[in-house]
Amino acid sequence: MRGNATTSLLRRLLYSLITIVGVAALVFVLLRMVPGNPVATLLGERADAETVERISSSLGLDKPLPVQFADYVLGALSGDFGESFTLGKPVVDLIGPAFMNTLRLAIAAALVAWVVGIACGLFAATHKGALVDRLFMGISLLGVSLPVFMVAMLLQYVFARYLHWLPVAGISDWTGYVLPAIALGWGSAGSVARLVRSSVIEELQQDYIDTARAKGRTKRQVLVLHALRNAMLPVITLMAMQFSGLLSGAFITETVFSINGIGRLSVQAITGRDIPLLQGTTLLIAFVIVMGNLVADLLYGISDPRVRKGV
Amino acid sequence: MLNSTLEVSHLCTSFFTDRGEVKAVDDVSLRVDKGQVVGIVGESGCGKSMVARSVMGLVKKPGKIVGGSIVLNGQELTSLDDKELCEVRGRDVSMVFQEPMTSLNPTMRVGRQVQEVVAIHEQVSKEQARQRTLEILSAVGIPEVEARYDAYPHELSGGLRQRVMIAMAMIMRPSLLIADEPTTALDATVEAQIIALLKRLAHTGTSVLIISHNLGVIAQLADYVYVMYAGRIVEKADVCELFDNPLHPYTHGLLGAVSSLRSQSKVLQTIPGVVPNLANLPAGCSFAPRCDRCMAACDSVRPELVTVGAGHELCCHLTKGVDVL
Ligand SMILES: Nc1ncnc2c1ncn2[C@@H]1O[C@H](COP(=O)(O)OP(=O)(O)OP(=O)(O)O)[C@@H](O)[C@H]1O
Ligand SMILES: [Mg+2]
Repeated sequence: MRGNATTSLLRRLLYSLITIVGVAALVFVLLRMVPGNPVATLLGERADAETVERISSSLGLDKPLPVQFADYVLGALSGDFGESFTLGKPVVDLIGPAFMNTLRLAIAAALVAWVVGIACGLFAATHKGALVDRLFMGISLLGVSLPVFMVAMLLQYVFARYLHWLPVAGISDWTGYVLPAIALGWGSAGSVARLVRSSVIEELQQDYIDTARAKGRTKRQVLVLHALRNAMLPVITLMAMQFSGLLSGAFITETVFSINGIGRLSVQAITGRDIPLLQGTTLLIAFVIVMGNLVADLLYGISDPRVRKGV
Repeated sequence: MLNSTLEVSHLCTSFFTDRGEVKAVDDVSLRVDKGQVVGIVGESGCGKSMVARSVMGLVKKPGKIVGGSIVLNGQELTSLDDKELCEVRGRDVSMVFQEPMTSLNPTMRVGRQVQEVVAIHEQVSKEQARQRTLEILSAVGIPEVEARYDAYPHELSGGLRQRVMIAMAMIMRPSLLIADEPTTALDATVEAQIIALLKRLAHTGTSVLIISHNLGVIAQLADYVYVMYAGRIVEKADVCELFDNPLHPYTHGLLGAVSSLRSQSKVLQTIPGVVPNLANLPAGCSFAPRCDRCMAACDSVRPELVTVGAGHELCCHLTKGVDVL
């Protein structure tokens, strides 16, 4: 059993690695298929052909694609992702701090999403059909369906510009995270609430709940000690996937609230045709998503004894 | 000293649905004496489980006990609130459910699920509770209890799971054990083992209320039998009396189904027709539409339970001329 689990873990890791390399190759090729010379864009319209060529060759852009890719992969393995065209700094030095900002934002957003989502979902499930239930589910539908930028701007307008309770944009202390975290986590809170609700309701209808009641457990104890754990199994998977989604999907929130995160950096890289930087951010995001799915799978395997043996 | 463990009188349990009130249990009275094994037999849907759930105080919405009384060891249960009932459940009365496959929590080790009952009702150390769990698990015939203690339900066979359920129900030595179709989901050999186990338990002084749609199971276990049809008791008698001298046409039908099985006859005799809609019962006898001995009175006048012999009661118009059968 043990050995089986280890091989399956190794297999999954290998798949994840293949996925990431695949994404890297794809990004690499796609970015070079975009018409127009990035160096020309970089230097402006009046740059002469000779300068463009000189700089292109110094950046290695004149070599054949496979060679360029091999160079890139070899560099990446030693932590060198090239130098940003537009900012003139190593990509790693730009991505590092930006990723930390995004990570903090994603953690804050996940906290909002999970605390609010689980609490509301539980409450709705235990008051199924009551007014609160319908109210919560209505709001959560709004949460799932409202676009992030609308929530972000609405929050910004009401709580920052109008009520002056919280900073409008930028991060100077933790208060700066409050509005972006709510804006980013809002949608996830909605889907967590819905899944928790349906999952808890389903578990409470299972036969083993009757068994627990027949032992002398109260309704509340049955919920907390028996139903909740099982109901959380699918929720854990959702949360792990959500977290990578929050990390990689913060573009809009970061832009609205002027947070120097990965999302904003990517947008900057796109507008500046900054290929090394864009490669770096895209690869990082791909890595985060692949890891998120891997962790989701593993968590599910660990938390459910019925799958644990067979992973 | 009280002689009866359970005394149910005029119990009515109904479901309030969109299509009206469904009288799942309609004026049922029954009694289980100390150390006695009492059976309830009847077709699917006739309200057997609802009697059990009513006694446990576990009728689910939109169902509700609407009348009658349930007295366990001299204590009236219908007036207790859920908190008080929680003390009674598992300690004084326990239940084994029909489906061993789904009646255990899939993500909890079975030992812990059995031990939980002790933790709910007694202040004992973990070690003591574990020791008692291991004892009861081996008492119900589970091999290698130390290893099984840490197993998850999906790692056990149906028969073993049902033994775990019985261990759970017995660990507090309750005065009454309700077994609702405990063998229906099991194959024949395992069924025989579980019946033997329940029989042994009954000899230790626990009263047992055994529910089944299978008269064969009832015959092997019960001392006294209630025959239920469409939410009501239609006949009750000592087990030997019931098999020797069945009076209700419905009981005849059930017996026919068993004996044709026994005699290996190719044609399985069943009762024609189905259980009537409990939301819309006929005015007279509920069995009248399916009864081959139906008389004029049966369609309009509802029969009452009448004593027809020692400990033998019958709810049928045929009693007026007992000679007919
Ligand atoms: N949720 C419900 N809503 C409406 N009616 C219900 C509900 N649950 C049960 N009933 C009614 O209660 C009746 C008795 O059900 P019960 O489970 O007691 O039958 P049973 O005799 O145990 O049958 P089985 O052998 O199938 O277990 C059913 O026929 C059904 O009409
Ligand atoms: Mg039943």
